[in-house]
Amino acid sequence: MMDDLLVQSVLVQWRVNGKLHEIEAMPGMSLLDAVREQLGLTGTHMGCQTGHCGACTVMLDGRIVKSCLTQAATLPRAEIVTIEGLKRADGTLNPVQQAFWDEAGFQCGYCAPGMLLSAMELLAEHPDPTDAQIDTGLAGNLCRCTGYRSLVRAVKAAAAKMRETS
Amino acid sequence: MADHSTIDDTRYVGQAVRTIEGRAPIVGAARYTNDFVFPGQLYAHIVRSPHAAARIRRIDTSGALKVSGVVRVLDGAEAAAHIKPITHYIDPAVFGGKSAEVRVMAVDEVWCYGQPVAVVVAEDKRTARFAAQRIQIVYDVLEPVLDAEAATAPDARIVVPGWDSNIMMQAPFRNGDPDAAFAKAAHVVKTSVDIHRFSTQPIETRCYNAVWEHDIEGVTLYATAQNPHPLRHVLSEVLGMPESKIRVHAPVIGGAFGMKMHGHPEEALMCLLAKLTGRPVKWTETREECLLIGAREQRHHMELALDADGVILGLRDRYFANVGAPSACPGWGMAFLTGLTMPGPYAVRDIDVQMTVVITNKPSWNAARGYGKESTALALELAIEDAARQLGMDAAEIRLKNFIRAEQFPYNSPTGLVYDSGDYSGAVLKAMHAIGYEGWKARQAEGPKDGKYIGIGVAFELTPEGGALPGTMVAGYDSSSVRVAPDGSVRILTGVTTPGTGNPTGIAQIVADELGVTMDAIEVTQGDTTTCPYGFGNYSGRSTIVGGGSAALAAQQVRAKVVTVAAALFDVPEADVELHRGVFSVKGQQGRTLTFKEVCYAAYTGAYSVAHGITLPLEATATFKPSNIRHTPDENGRINPYPSYSNAAYVTVCEVDVETGKTKVLAFAAAHDCGRVINPVLVEGQACGAISFGVGGAMFEAIAFDSSGRQLTRSFMDYVMPRSEDLPAVKMVHHDSPNPVTYMGLKGAGEAGVGGSAAAVVNAINNALIPLGVSLNTLPLSAPNVWGAIQAARKRGQREAAE
Repeated sequence: MMDDLLVQSVLVQWRVNGKLHEIEAMPGMSLLDAVREQLGLTGTHMGCQTGHCGACTVMLDGRIVKSCLTQAATLPRAEIVTIEGLKRADGTLNPVQQAFWDEAGFQCGYCAPGMLLSAMELLAEHPDPTDAQIDTGLAGNLCRCTGYRSLVRAVKAAAAKMRETS
Repeated sequence: MADHSTIDDTRYVGQAVRTIEGRAPIVGAARYTNDFVFPGQLYAHIVRSPHAAARIRRIDTSGALKVSGVVRVLDGAEAAAHIKPITHYIDPAVFGGKSAEVRVMAVDEVWCYGQPVAVVVAEDKRTARFAAQRIQIVYDVLEPVLDAEAATAPDARIVVPGWDSNIMMQAPFRNGDPDAAFAKAAHVVKTSVDIHRFSTQPIETRCYNAVWEHDIEGVTLYATAQNPHPLRHVLSEVLGMPESKIRVHAPVIGGAFGMKMHGHPEEALMCLLAKLTGRPVKWTETREECLLIGAREQRHHMELALDADGVILGLRDRYFANVGAPSACPGWGMAFLTGLTMPGPYAVRDIDVQMTVVITNKPSWNAARGYGKESTALALELAIEDAARQLGMDAAEIRLKNFIRAEQFPYNSPTGLVYDSGDYSGAVLKAMHAIGYEGWKARQAEGPKDGKYIGIGVAFELTPEGGALPGTMVAGYDSSSVRVAPDGSVRILTGVTTPGTGNPTGIAQIVADELGVTMDAIEVTQGDTTTCPYGFGNYSGRSTIVGGGSAALAAQQVRAKVVTVAAALFDVPEADVELHRGVFSVKGQQGRTLTFKEVCYAAYTGAYSVAHGITLPLEATATFKPSNIRHTPDENGRINPYPSYSNAAYVTVCEVDVETGKTKVLAFAAAHDCGRVINPVLVEGQACGAISFGVGGAMFEAIAFDSSGRQLTRSFMDYVMPRSEDLPAVKMVHHDSPNPVTYMGLKGAGEAGVGGSAAAVVNAINNALIPLGVSLNTLPLSAPNVWGAIQAARKRGQREAAE
């Protein structure tokens, strides 16, 4: 395939949602394609391929990134969490997931991976976020369905629940 | 949050029930079209025209075929040899317009930037994209036709060969004696409203994956499709294959807003490629491709005739819709609906509206939330604001003076529509109260602070929903099946689909109440032509009206069956049997109960005993057909294509920084009438989503072209959509008047809000700029446009001062 180009893949080792994987990453392959196509984790979504919509957000070594703009071959070792890895060990929803469901945070759900991971990072830094902090926390993610009000409500509900139990 | 003080706790309807479909996306388990991969999967990449108008002199695909991993390459002429032109979703010829032959890929001539010209199918998507660059195409570039009004000039180049002009359709919407109304008017106010090209842009782009079914020599299309059954009909005509050999499956859809209504070339093209290769072929739209789909670009020349007190005597409008190149998608119909829904909520009888739908060399439209009714609202509400300014009256006062009054319903509109119900004045007053209108007025009177001017904007939108167009697959009815298994679990199969709006939950709430079961007993299946009843899918805010209405009727039939069986088991008259939340009991006899499961199992196994009197299985299919849709023309040749007339009032406060042109929405209130509310959280979600479309459309979103017709807007860097910080908290109040005809008084809830909220924002910004002498009716009111208008007004002022 693509015999006209000099192509050499890079062997990378990632722990994804707690499980070790070895992948042949082709030059030019995004982390998004690697996660979706090589690992079959289709919960991470393609929305724009330019880093604007945030539907492809994953957690990379503890920080959220846009996986569509991240080159797979540049990550020889990495710890990755996708939306599939957010549930608690016993299979129940984590408090942020539960709040998003309870408060009808989403409509179509396509932006969910990015919104959830952004909300979790936000709440790790600001356990009791102001409206402005929530706006900033979700600034990298587009939602076309909700007008964001239900998402803000869900983040606040998750924050309250997490403060209560911590 | 709205106040819902009249909730009946014994019913699911009316309660903010958590959505049944909402869990899967949260754990990453929802399967969208692009998530399906089949053994032997191939990937398609489409080569698109870099020119707005050109003749194709030569296409050489040999370079692409030499790339290893390429399975098939096809150009427009070869595709045309295999399949027919795409069947129009709404054929303009049915409405007296001109109908162009639309092919899946250009043959001989390209009509717009981005039109498909050739396609490469390969083992993986990178190879397909790489090989596509090796296709050589020689074009003779033509002068593009880009402006709608210029395209109607006698010497304009004709876009579609064989046509006598670029006008696809011209139609009058006329009533009474408008000339007399204008002759006796004390004031005539002229307003031109330039609505720009902006579109829906769901975060999930389109995707089609066609699988060739070797056993039946048929095809299964996994598709981001709002209307699977009508799409199957189109595919059968284009591919020359019976509908029985085609299956369209629309899995979870990541937002649609009209864009995923069909007629797109890639639908039939993927099916053809699957047939030619015998393997599954998938195409996933890029954002750049998605941005090619236009909508709403329409210029209105409005004239209002008013008496000295501000009563509107007559309305004239000449409007031109730039629908771009010919398309089989239903986008052009938006322009027709704009005329049909004039003069909106106002009791004006003498109207003279002329629609001109123009074909140009811009990419074509598809349906977009609001479907032309948002343009009606924008044109009317901006014109009324102008009138208020010229007459020195309060704009809200002019509206209140001219609304159709609550006691006038059902109201026959001058274009033949029959508005079912409403209280428009009440809604406006409620919204004004909710935002604290007088308080903001007082704050505005204090004058600008730090160069920041405050403006208040009011607007109203009438949004007919649930539409049915005669002779088309835009149907007003739909069907559902309710199936109860021996274990008492319930499956609803319905012909309406969901793009993520929550209608499965609304329908399940209705069925749970009507059947007498708990919500967790219910599953809803949608979007599959092999399993669901023939249905028309999702558009026009119809899904809960007709999907919920038909599911209710089917549930009532199944309930009658299980009640018969339970009566036999209890050995009491049927009238004494009660069923609530999955438990049967006998009136007046405490303790005698049976579970829903026990009765269902007894029914299936007791055909010759307790279930003797019923028809098994425990299933029923029913159709809901709103009785007030009228397709038989009246004496004036007019029809009523809508069963429900949702409406809403919007009031907003905007702040304009006059040094930068930057605008900000400070407060927003809406009073919404969508009839009976099934689930308040879902309804508010819809309303807030529509408001976000309106605010984004009024302030940021725009699709731009260069002078040669090449599209400049190619990513979300250029197409700016609202983010969380751009939208205010919405103070939402309900002002519901139940629809007298639909099931439980439902009206549509999905579409209303785009035009009304956009108009409120435009009116607020213009209201803020009154002291500067600025009135800007060319949308969007983005910071550069507002800044430019302020600068122009200042220069004008300096010139006048100098003279």
